[in-house]
Amino acid sequence: MKSKPVNEEKRFIFHRNFVLVLVMGVVLFGLSVYCWLKPEDKFSESERRVLKSFPKLTAETIINGKFMKEFEDYSVDQFPFREEFRTLKAYASYGLLGKKDNNGIYMTEGHLSKIEYPMQISMLDNAAIRMEEIYNLYLRDENSKCYFSIVPDKNFYLAKENGYPAMDYDNLFSYMKEKVDFAKYIDITGLLDLQDYYKTDTHWRQEEIVDVAQFLQKEMVGVSSDTKYEVKEVPVPFYGVYCGQSALSVEPDKLYYLESEALRDCIVTSYDTGKPLPTNIYNMEKVLGHDAYEMFLSGTSALQVIENPKVENQKELIVFRDSFGSSLVPLLVDGYSKITVIDIRYVQSKMLGNLVDFHGQDTLFIYSTIILNNSMSLR
Amino acid sequence: MLFSSIPFLFYFLPVVLIIYFLVPYSLKNAVLLLSSLFFYGWGESKYVFLMLVVIAVGYVLGLLIGKYRNQKAGKIFLVLAVVIDIAVLGYFKYADFFISNFNAVTGMQVPLLKIALPIGISFFIFQILSYDIDVYRGQVAVQKNPITLAAYVAMFPQLIAGPIVRYIDVEKQLRKREHNPELVAGGIRRFMIGLGKKILLANLLGECCAVFRESSEKTNLFFWMYGIAYMLHIYFDFSGYSDMAIGLGKIFGFHFMENFNYPYISKSITEFWRRWHISLGSWFRDYVYIPLGGNRVSKGRWIFNIFMVWFLTGFWHGAAWNFIIWGLYFVVFLLLEKFWLGKYLERAKVWNHIYVLFFIMISFMIFDAVSMQEAGKNIAGLFGIGTEGFVSMESIYYLKNYLLIFLMAIIGATPLPKKIYEKIMNVPAGRKVVNVMEPIFLAGLFLIITAFLVDGSFNPFLYFRF
Repeated sequence: MKSKPVNEEKRFIFHRNFVLVLVMGVVLFGLSVYCWLKPEDKFSESERRVLKSFPKLTAETIINGKFMKEFEDYSVDQFPFREEFRTLKAYASYGLLGKKDNNGIYMTEGHLSKIEYPMQISMLDNAAIRMEEIYNLYLRDENSKCYFSIVPDKNFYLAKENGYPAMDYDNLFSYMKEKVDFAKYIDITGLLDLQDYYKTDTHWRQEEIVDVAQFLQKEMVGVSSDTKYEVKEVPVPFYGVYCGQSALSVEPDKLYYLESEALRDCIVTSYDTGKPLPTNIYNMEKVLGHDAYEMFLSGTSALQVIENPKVENQKELIVFRDSFGSSLVPLLVDGYSKITVIDIRYVQSKMLGNLVDFHGQDTLFIYSTIILNNSMSLR
Repeated sequence: MLFSSIPFLFYFLPVVLIIYFLVPYSLKNAVLLLSSLFFYGWGESKYVFLMLVVIAVGYVLGLLIGKYRNQKAGKIFLVLAVVIDIAVLGYFKYADFFISNFNAVTGMQVPLLKIALPIGISFFIFQILSYDIDVYRGQVAVQKNPITLAAYVAMFPQLIAGPIVRYIDVEKQLRKREHNPELVAGGIRRFMIGLGKKILLANLLGECCAVFRESSEKTNLFFWMYGIAYMLHIYFDFSGYSDMAIGLGKIFGFHFMENFNYPYISKSITEFWRRWHISLGSWFRDYVYIPLGGNRVSKGRWIFNIFMVWFLTGFWHGAAWNFIIWGLYFVVFLLLEKFWLGKYLERAKVWNHIYVLFFIMISFMIFDAVSMQEAGKNIAGLFGIGTEGFVSMESIYYLKNYLLIFLMAIIGATPLPKKIYEKIMNVPAGRKVVNVMEPIFLAGLFLIITAFLVDGSFNPFLYFRF
């Protein structure tokens, strides 16, 4: 009689252990087999980056450890169901572990944003030095009128109010204003609010910054444009940069752009390869690419020239800008017959003398707080 | 190779498991050795040869010690083994420490050797050393099979971060060991607990410490958060690794000694050291403290013995003064408790725990610091000296961000979860629920851990540097 419970106990333990080994074995070996057999993916759409491919296997790379190091990166990049695992991690971070951000990305008031903290004085100094170098090299002797404006990133409106670490923006603005003292500072912060930014992306919405463009024009030219724009919708959903970085399932934004007769007639030339290449204000091919925001002035570009045949005042403007400028610059074309758009993340400022004829044009330096606070990319 | 990495979990381990369980019993040690050499070579390809030389020397000297055990030659071979092992450890781990101190004292400029520390050298040297000493003492028989001895020293589950497995503890298992579903299931449970501790607690607490280090607004609150986060981080990091090692050992049929026993519930520092890194403590007790005479000597000599053991314990952890001071720091408390405080601590209910936790936290702040100056600054910060106010938006944010992780870690550092589990298992209905839920829970945990590995960047192991 006593042996029955003992046998039952044994059976219970055996059954429990057997099921555990089986379940864990299926998960471990299942994923392992998939790791070995899965074809390589080339690109991660959500993270907008090229994924690591299988490293070079030689005696040298094994001895110096390069193969092992690169294999570790490769194994993470090529892991099966990578996107699903990234999403699982994001939800586990927020839901199970109570974290307020995942890899620095947080969601509040329906917006995704990335913590930009702390303020890095060395980065601000570096940005100011780059701008001053340009001024000294090309602008000072030509008596160019110089203007400087700062685009606040979303955290300016979102972080502090919601308990996320935020830079001391007032301090940042006044610090940069003092450092870039050769240019007239144009404060645009009062014209912006959170709704002027995409919910899933870092950038501002072109259809919401007409007043910013008008204000800048008024400050630089003396009069502001009264152009009436047609608002056009891009017929595909816009998944901003934070969608992929957050790995959360979020509603996409809608992407609009502004069209006018003048904009349609503008002649845009890109000098990225050193040779003139005709392009457009809005590059609709980019809408289906990795980052639909790149439709504005074709995205990343070192040097572009926009000529507006409708303006006969012969006034010219040079804009030193980052990606926020891509959607802003088209709204400035009414004031100038020619706008030269320069991004010194993609061209060395010291080389600009060979590419651009500086002859006293108005010059606007407009950078976002994100680039100013991470200015190592400015060359 | 890290246990908590994709290459280990999904490439190395499954292949090793398949080969290990497919080959005949007589080849299992060889498979274990080869896979361990591959495992070590993955991270330290140039030092595989060094480890093999250390093993070969230990093996040959073990044979000679065994042959001449009761003769003078046996003692000479033992001394030779100790000298060679300590010399190897001294050269690879401590040479630059000695040179830089020599330069500082003499004002000379002897160039540093800048030798990269071979991973796990402190662990495998101590293992082979204990083998030779135990052979000399006649506590273990000489291992004539070099593959078996090499498999013991190089065994990947415990090779690079312990526990320090002594030959005497696994001698029989190296010869004959059992493999069954119960052991495998037990090993999986233990490994998963360790992996969870490492990825979901230690790494995130380590992240919190990294945020503190990088902050330019170190408030009073932030210093306390750092102190608590670091002591929890180091516990979950190291005990998590030990759990994984013990779990893997079980899967391969070995029973490694426990390395941690809820150290943060201790009522005294003396008790803490009986519960923390048990394999190291017992190693120093058996191979240093007792041979020096232990406590069966004059009071002065006994204090010297304690001083020596803790000096070496600190120095074993790293070739820097803060590690030596960290070791000697405990001498003060151990003697204080022995001569005066111990009886009060025994009777107390609450303050003894606060005393232990506070002074252990301070000890780990010394342990973590790059220099004693930094340690001093961090400790002063706890008392509001040199801080940027009491709280800031940043420190409050990170407190909220890591609050749940702190709470889980604090509860996880006590036996409470284990007690709850045991209570549930004592109820028939509870057992049934656990029976069904356990595989689901562990598989879910594994997937979440995998997700953190796929999308994680902060994944160092503290004890790799020892």
